[in-house]
Amino acid sequence: MRKFYLTSLLVLLSLVTSFAQDRQFFTGFFPEAALTKIIKNDQKIIFKIEHQDIFYNNSGDQKDELQFTHYRTDLMGFYDFKLNPTKSIAFGVFHRIQEGANANRIIQQFAAVNRLRRLKLAHRFRTDQTFTKGDPLEIRLRYRLATEIPLSGSTLDPGEHYLVLSNEPIFSLQGGEFEIENRLVFSLGKLIASSQKLEWSLDYRTDKFIQEGFRTRLWAKVGYFYSF
Amino acid sequence: MLKLILKQSSILVFFWMISGALFAQDKVERELRVEEKEVPKEAKDWLYDAFETSKRPKWYQEIFESGYSYEAKFKLKGKFYSVEFDSWGLIQDVEIEIDFKELPKEVQAGLEDYLLDGYKSSDIKRIQIQYSGKPDDLEDFFDENSQEGILTRFEIEFIGPDETGSSQLFEGLFSEKGSLIFKRKIVLVPSENLVY
Repeated sequence: MRKFYLTSLLVLLSLVTSFAQDRQFFTGFFPEAALTKIIKNDQKIIFKIEHQDIFYNNSGDQKDELQFTHYRTDLMGFYDFKLNPTKSIAFGVFHRIQEGANANRIIQQFAAVNRLRRLKLAHRFRTDQTFTKGDPLEIRLRYRLATEIPLSGSTLDPGEHYLVLSNEPIFSLQGGEFEIENRLVFSLGKLIASSQKLEWSLDYRTDKFIQEGFRTRLWAKVGYFYSF
Repeated sequence: MLKLILKQSSILVFFWMISGALFAQDKVERELRVEEKEVPKEAKDWLYDAFETSKRPKWYQEIFESGYSYEAKFKLKGKFYSVEFDSWGLIQDVEIEIDFKELPKEVQAGLEDYLLDGYKSSDIKRIQIQYSGKPDDLEDFFDENSQEGILTRFEIEFIGPDETGSSQLFEGLFSEKGSLIFKRKIVLVPSENLVY
């Protein structure tokens, strides 16, 4: 565990120093929690909250100052319907609280989680439409590939740790302009009980590849997932 | 005001998460990776006698409420083997992963009959041929191909309907003639962290 924290700190520091030089960069703390209510065998409702606070920003009003600035809080709810034990579709609504940029979004999702011999492999395809006051409609297409690898034995049992690696390219179209974002996440998790997971993650986001103002964001995440 | 509430609530959420990780415990059944030196000598001796060409296997200990067992996993001639021993190191069974087309025709027909209308080949997730018998008989089977005293069955993971008609993931044990001996539902660990 100590090795994980040291490695995470080194990755964080090296990324901060390399990217803070000439690009827009900010970093901070990102707690998230998801509660899943299983309605029937094949249907569930998920409520999720994500919250982002900035600790350091190399641009803006508090440029290069250590800070604790609220960036955004996202609230979302999904209705998830299983097509079979490995595939599901979901529809979601989303509300964002962000100074001057409150937004609403509707989400459509198809996901497939495959159990391989020693890991899980999850594919997630999403489309979403975001409505922000004063801005044109934003339409996005996203694909996330994630793998979960148990660290003790070949299956994940309660009390054991696991790793998650995921990457998600996001393609967006807003007001006739095309843009790409990428999200790379490395997590260490613990299956606390059969229905509870806790994860510590580094979430590295890059966007504005096409438009001006290439931006990177690095988040230290803590995530809690509970099903009942 | 809203910013202050959000800031305070994020700190509270953080400490709540940390405290949950420290105090929550719920361990009943586990599979742990163990070193070969921790495995009973009887199990190692049987394994290396029966599979003389085997590379060093990965050993696991499976802990249940009522006790524990050992399992060796390895790849041999392109096939994945799983060999189970009891806590004393006595051989229980040997399972080898195979493809659907390697199943005997009777078992293929039995499985298709069982799954009936909704059957798709992608519904079969994993097939293992399972050999059990006395330790000496099993050893002779693997190193001399002697069939005496060997019971052959098929352990198959498949998607099929449950009693309500809803599709579920099952592990079923099928006989050599393709009839279902028993099945159990596979309870999956939630994957919301991978999907949401």
